[in-house]
Amino acid sequence: MGLQGRAALVGAAQYKPEKYMSAPRMFHLEQIADLATQALDDAGMTLRDVDGLITSGAYFHEASSFVPAMVGEYLGVPLNFAEVIDLGGASSVGMVWRAAAAIELGLCDTVLCVIPSRMAPMSPHDDHAMEVMRSSRFGGHSTRFGAPEAEMDLPYGHMAQNTGYAMIAQRYAAQHGYDVAAMARICVDQRFNACHNPGAMFYGQPITVDDVLNSRMVADPLRMLEIVMPVAGGGAMIVTRADKARSLRHRPVLVAGCGEHVHSKSPTYAHDMLAMPIGPASRKAFAMAGLKPADMHMAQIYDCYTITVLLTLEDAGFCAKGEGMRFLREHDFTFQGNFPMNTHGGQLSFGQPGSAGGMTQVIEAMQQIQGRAGERQLARHDLAYVSGTGGVMSEQGALVLRGDQ
Amino acid sequence: MAWNKPLPHPTSISQPYWDGLRDHEVRLQQCEHGHWLFFPRTHCPTCGSRQLIWRRVSGEGRLYTFTVGRVPTLPEFTDEMPQLLAVVELDEGVHLNTTLVGVDPADVRVGQRLRPVFDDRPGEVTLLRYTPVESAHPGVIAGEAAPAAVPAPGVEEKPKRRISCKDIAAMKSLVSEEFTGWSNAFEVTQEIINQFAALSGDDYWIHTDPERCKRESPFGTPIAHGALVQVLVSRLKMPMDYEVVDFVNIVNYGSDRLRFPAIVPSGCSIHGRCRVKSVEQLKSGVQVTLEINVHVVGQDRPSVINDLVMLYM
Repeated sequence: MGLQGRAALVGAAQYKPEKYMSAPRMFHLEQIADLATQALDDAGMTLRDVDGLITSGAYFHEASSFVPAMVGEYLGVPLNFAEVIDLGGASSVGMVWRAAAAIELGLCDTVLCVIPSRMAPMSPHDDHAMEVMRSSRFGGHSTRFGAPEAEMDLPYGHMAQNTGYAMIAQRYAAQHGYDVAAMARICVDQRFNACHNPGAMFYGQPITVDDVLNSRMVADPLRMLEIVMPVAGGGAMIVTRADKARSLRHRPVLVAGCGEHVHSKSPTYAHDMLAMPIGPASRKAFAMAGLKPADMHMAQIYDCYTITVLLTLEDAGFCAKGEGMRFLREHDFTFQGNFPMNTHGGQLSFGQPGSAGGMTQVIEAMQQIQGRAGERQLARHDLAYVSGTGGVMSEQGALVLRGDQ
Repeated sequence: MAWNKPLPHPTSISQPYWDGLRDHEVRLQQCEHGHWLFFPRTHCPTCGSRQLIWRRVSGEGRLYTFTVGRVPTLPEFTDEMPQLLAVVELDEGVHLNTTLVGVDPADVRVGQRLRPVFDDRPGEVTLLRYTPVESAHPGVIAGEAAPAAVPAPGVEEKPKRRISCKDIAAMKSLVSEEFTGWSNAFEVTQEIINQFAALSGDDYWIHTDPERCKRESPFGTPIAHGALVQVLVSRLKMPMDYEVVDFVNIVNYGSDRLRFPAIVPSGCSIHGRCRVKSVEQLKSGVQVTLEINVHVVGQDRPSVINDLVMLYM
């Protein structure tokens, strides 16, 4: 049962995160072709090797259906496996395990996982880009007739992510207590990591716990510096057969375990707002890999908000439920610390490129395991835990990655 | 004024719930096995049964969680700042989204008992808000009555210190990092915005055309001109505990700095506060720079920052 570690991550590419307004505008097809060729270069492969594709379905610019066929045709690549995924920030983790599963099933050999997140050029005719910007006014909440959230959330001002995550944090505070300084350390340590990563949005801008605590309160208890900044960017990852991977450029990074869980669109309707989907997803991933949280050499944890990190640490089993604040106080999350986490800076300091936010974490895990993380390189770097989170703790996924010996 | 916030569009499935609210009752669905459910559906998400009936419930429950939103989730909600967004666990066990009314944000506690408040203001539907059981807030917010603007504390007249503009030491003692208390609140109605548009000739649609704003504006609703909010300072009485005397006239020299960091959506109330930023003796008189900040009530980010320079001669 489960993945046998017969698929490997072999190369990746990503755009440097930039503010939306200053980033170049490119069609999504164009971004996909660009990112794909860069990622294949990185792996030492070409488009001719690709026979599988997974891309993001929501907000794709040039079409709202038949997306894989359009992308495959544009790339000039016949596909034995074609998929779109619609799991928000859990999409990247979800892409990787689906690619690995398709490869292990023998459906295909090499899968391109890609998420374009730069804005497309403005159109004089039917401006889809403007449409997406207008819909973002409601923060990803559907306004369509019959959508429960259009009927039960929007009229009260419940929308977007900040207030939902803040309400989860308030519930946590009421049940287990809350230490704002401990939470701020997540931001501070990740910023330290970003300051050793020239590709990061906030490279060269260290912060202190006081900076976090003095930043603007957005929705109690979440402050500005605890909230990601969505930016333009995009990423691609190449997954191929492990035996094929051994003749390529870098150390193969095997997909040893995976899990996924989706429990509700809005945390309001979750049975227990503090029981994260990452719990069952992570248990499955560790069991599949035959490993436990303590075995990991690094954790690349999806960090749209500090509260997401805290609850992932608890529910994924790095510490017990309710013990998160103590765990934060007792660990150093820098790449030099006793619990290396989000060694590229995390989305809080590297940047959150559109829905591709999660891909930055998968790419960092791959590069660390391959020994290509520059001055952030960990001494022990064989095993990585990676998580993804979509919506408002709506959907989460976990990967356990292992360097090929 | 017209309700400019998103409104629910009841469906054939949810209509009984909204009908209940219109009658000032909370009605929920229950399946044949006794499971309660919310939001409305055609099946029970607990057991799958399709035998559902609508029942009247008390609507009371406990606060499951909440947040104090300090950045409007949509510009249209700026008048509610700070937004008291909440999830209530009804006594039947279901959760629903709401906002809290009749309670100070500092007094909100997870677990506290709440009772329903039926808000008839939107007109075509009634919304369900909540208040602590012990609060004095009425159980219904009537449709016609606009919420009365709460007079800002500290506006009542106190005897003022008289400071002579000839006494430069006393004048310099007015310089402070501390702002005054808040002024009275003033409602920036669409009518005022339209009058200003006519007067100034700046009738750009983003200020004057609610329908087009709904379709095309990033704010979804008309916003006041920055220049209008700047001049409305004349409508705001700042609670100062001193007055400057002994001058022949005051010359308004303009602004050292004029910024509009945040929007004022149509229909919001504004209030202001100020502080003396600097005092300088010039040949012709005493120059005072007054930093005036105008905020939408409840918003911590100012809509206008004006460093007004005046010369007392």
